[in-house]
Amino acid sequence: MKMKKSSLFLSTSILAAALAGCSTGGDSGSEDGTTTIEFWAAPNPTQQVYWEEMAEAFEKENEDIKVEVSPMKESPTSEAGIQTAIAGKSAPTMSENINRGFAAQLAESKALVPLNEIEGFEELLQNRSMEETIKTWKFADDNQYVMPIYSNPMLFGWRIDVLKEAGVEEVPKTYSEMLEAADKLKVKFPDKYIWAKPDLADPTAWKRWFDFFMLYDAASGGNNFIEGDQFVADDAAGVGVLQLLADLRERDVLLTKQATDPFESGLGVFTDIGPWTFSYWEEKFPEMVYGETFDLALPPVPDDVSTENVNTFADTKGIVVYASATEEERAAAMEFMNFVYSDPENDLTWLETTKLPPARDDLSSNEAFTAFFEENPELKPYADAIPNAIPSIDNAKYNELQTHIGSMAVNPVVEGTTSPEDGWEEMKRAIEEELNK
Amino acid sequence: MVGSSKGLVFRYIIAFALLSVMVFPYLYMVLNSFASWDQVDKSIIPSSFSFRSYEWLFTGGEGGMSRPWIRSFFNSVIVSSASTALMMVSGAMVAFALAKMKFKGRDFINNAVLFQMFFPAIILLIPTFLIVQNVGMYDSYLAMILPKALSLWAVFMYTNFFRAIPDTFIESARLDGANNLQILLKIVLPMSKSITTVIFLFLFMERWTELLWDMIVVRSDHMLTLNVLLSQMFGPYGGYPGPLYAASVILTVPIIILFLCFAKQFKEGMQFTLK
Amino acid sequence: MMKKRFNGTGWLFASPYLFYGVIFFIIPLIWSFYLALTDWNLIAPVYEFIAFDNFIEAVQNPGVQAAFFVTFKFMGAFVPMVIVSSLIVALVVHGLPRFKGLFLIGFFLPYLASGVVSSLIVKGLLSYNSSINVVLRESFGLDIDWLNSPLSALLVVAAIIAWKFTGYYALILTAGFEGINKEIYEAAAIDGVSAAQRFFRITLPLLYPALFTTLILSIGVSFGIFTEVYQLTGGGPNYATNTWQMEIFNQAFTNLNAGYASAVAIIASIVTFVAIIMIRKILEAWGKRNGWV
Repeated sequence: MKMKKSSLFLSTSILAAALAGCSTGGDSGSEDGTTTIEFWAAPNPTQQVYWEEMAEAFEKENEDIKVEVSPMKESPTSEAGIQTAIAGKSAPTMSENINRGFAAQLAESKALVPLNEIEGFEELLQNRSMEETIKTWKFADDNQYVMPIYSNPMLFGWRIDVLKEAGVEEVPKTYSEMLEAADKLKVKFPDKYIWAKPDLADPTAWKRWFDFFMLYDAASGGNNFIEGDQFVADDAAGVGVLQLLADLRERDVLLTKQATDPFESGLGVFTDIGPWTFSYWEEKFPEMVYGETFDLALPPVPDDVSTENVNTFADTKGIVVYASATEEERAAAMEFMNFVYSDPENDLTWLETTKLPPARDDLSSNEAFTAFFEENPELKPYADAIPNAIPSIDNAKYNELQTHIGSMAVNPVVEGTTSPEDGWEEMKRAIEEELNK
Repeated sequence: MVGSSKGLVFRYIIAFALLSVMVFPYLYMVLNSFASWDQVDKSIIPSSFSFRSYEWLFTGGEGGMSRPWIRSFFNSVIVSSASTALMMVSGAMVAFALAKMKFKGRDFINNAVLFQMFFPAIILLIPTFLIVQNVGMYDSYLAMILPKALSLWAVFMYTNFFRAIPDTFIESARLDGANNLQILLKIVLPMSKSITTVIFLFLFMERWTELLWDMIVVRSDHMLTLNVLLSQMFGPYGGYPGPLYAASVILTVPIIILFLCFAKQFKEGMQFTLK
Repeated sequence: MMKKRFNGTGWLFASPYLFYGVIFFIIPLIWSFYLALTDWNLIAPVYEFIAFDNFIEAVQNPGVQAAFFVTFKFMGAFVPMVIVSSLIVALVVHGLPRFKGLFLIGFFLPYLASGVVSSLIVKGLLSYNSSINVVLRESFGLDIDWLNSPLSALLVVAAIIAWKFTGYYALILTAGFEGINKEIYEAAAIDGVSAAQRFFRITLPLLYPALFTTLILSIGVSFGIFTEVYQLTGGGPNYATNTWQMEIFNQAFTNLNAGYASAVAIIASIVTFVAIIMIRKILEAWGKRNGWV
């Protein structure tokens, strides 16, 4: 009967051992001379497909390097997922989908490798023709931490079919045109809204890119908002944006309740649209046709601002290499980037699969790209807006700062619990306090 | 007497109505998982049905990549089973020591268990994460299993139950030359089947639906549990409510089946625990 | 009867707890106090000791203050909801001559739902263009902003969790009802006691032990809410559903302020510990004063 006792412990320990065996870490076994690098793609299927294709093509030419592509997890945001992985001492070798502010934050914690310290970076910049673009990406410590992949100007979509029925023939370009359209819409369709978007009432930092910053960049002519540790925002433009929200609210044309596909169903006639939306529509809403059901436009501006050359927010993300990567892995990562970006065809494939404009100096001159935009008229407005697109703020505290914009200004104004002026002042105070911490 | 039987019918009707309200969300979930995409969330009972949501889950739709739904299902099975098994074994062992063995320090351990059971566990979250990280278990099954390899509640429940078993059983076995492990396995546990079922079901359910811990100690796509994967899906797949219900069905149905299999023993076991 | 020779075996049998208690309780506990005194951000190689700055910052922080109050507000909504609904279920079910077990099993099913699933279902049910809201708007003129107004968001989350626990607590209460001797009621009927009097004078006192259990359990639940809030409201609108768990998770794993989050966790634990003990004492005193215990 002694057997029983030991077998219980034995089976428990076997179970534990077996489970330990299952837990494969992200170790890059370089015993047989191959280096394995792990690449985290943005958590959307299209970008994942693109990177898997690239990895496969790369591995064919470089047998000593393996590239493992997987989507980054969102818990609750992809930024948090990356941070937890770094904290778990288990960051990937490299990842895409990194904005400037987040890169600054990671760099401050020494979690990123300065790309300029890896051999081959200069070559990469030349090959991809991005020596101009990269200049604006330099960080405060003179290093380059991000290799920008794309720079996408955000545009607003308008449901022109609904607007026409309401008697609005032209897409509104200014605040007063927008408010006029709101009045007409409400007369014809009391149940419809100009802007149906729950995010307006949500303080989550990144959500401000797709409402506040689009409008603010347009209203302020591309003012910087924050420079270094200084709050330099254009007060008049900022209050103006909040005033627009307040005016829309007063007319009951803002809807912040959770609604399923509000723009597609015509519940709201105005929303921010990125090019990634189009493949989703192809699958789910084939009735969304550019020029018929919807139109794309730059953000509306205050009445005293020119409607020519309007600025907008540029959603722009890039690749970083994490500090936990070994020398071999860093070199391999650079080699992979060089492979992908030395051939403009790969950027064209990127453009075709993701619809996001590559961050290159020659986007408007290189025939490979101009031809693509001719064939895809709904993407032309994005290409046209590139020169006027403003990237996100690059402060390491961007997360806290943008949360203040939401919780102190945008959210309460949209809810009607504060006035635009008071909201702006509150926000300004909170941001300055945060910057001086 | 006529009045009382009428009253009884009335009570059955009320009971049935209440039950319908309680299980309605499940019904809604199942119906919507089979609904045509233009019908999802549009009415209580969809008017047309399709398998598109399930197809989409496993193939990723027209554009793309499917997420590892099947893999994550098995991850959940592995993690929940291993973790529950360890919690049952450790629970029974510790409880046996506390209830039926006499040794120096027993009261201290007993008090420690009680104290820890009522101690707010939230304080332990961050350092436990750091322990897992420091021993290199981050992003592994072990990270999800070991910190949940012992349940104080299971110890508590077993201890209470074992205490109710008369010592005479144990003494006579001991006189027959049985050792403690034999007594536990041959006498005590067979007498505890119903409570074991209750403990097992509660532990398994809780482990199966854990979110916070499984979410923070895992980073790789192929290590996610089903519950975590479903939780993440609302982000990138926010526009796909149909598949979301389909995934919910896949998460919920196995645990309901498991529960119904053990329902009879569960009922008996609950009767004991509630006395 | 049992002698000291069992000493070693006793410790051996208790060893799983000893390992577990040291590795997953004592060490983390000490570590968390240490962390709370630093400004470590979970990933940086260096950090500084900042004494009690984290605690001072925490008590002034709106998120932490919200968590403190939200827990009690949540208790105020959830506990009555779940007690009343499980009482109703138990009242209806306990006397049924047939299928009682089947009903109890049915009512228990919601307990099996993952918080993620129930939150996603509720999100769908409450979406602006869902059938429920369409009917409310078109037939009753009610346009409810379920998840964006502080009170209703709190109530929705409370209702989801009450839905989950009703069947479980009804089981406990049904057992309580069954423990009540029928003869007492018959005697009361002869004495001409009214229904209300019967409930308060007879049923309630005899049900008190079961009721006490469910009360304590449900109060415990109120202190540990995470999944539903994370999935449904993210703690909003404007911290209206920001629980301790949510605040600590956000600080530690979204903002990576490990030191600060540890301080918040310590505060949360103290508040929880003190509150539960006080509530317990009050409930016991209440029972004693009425002579129910």
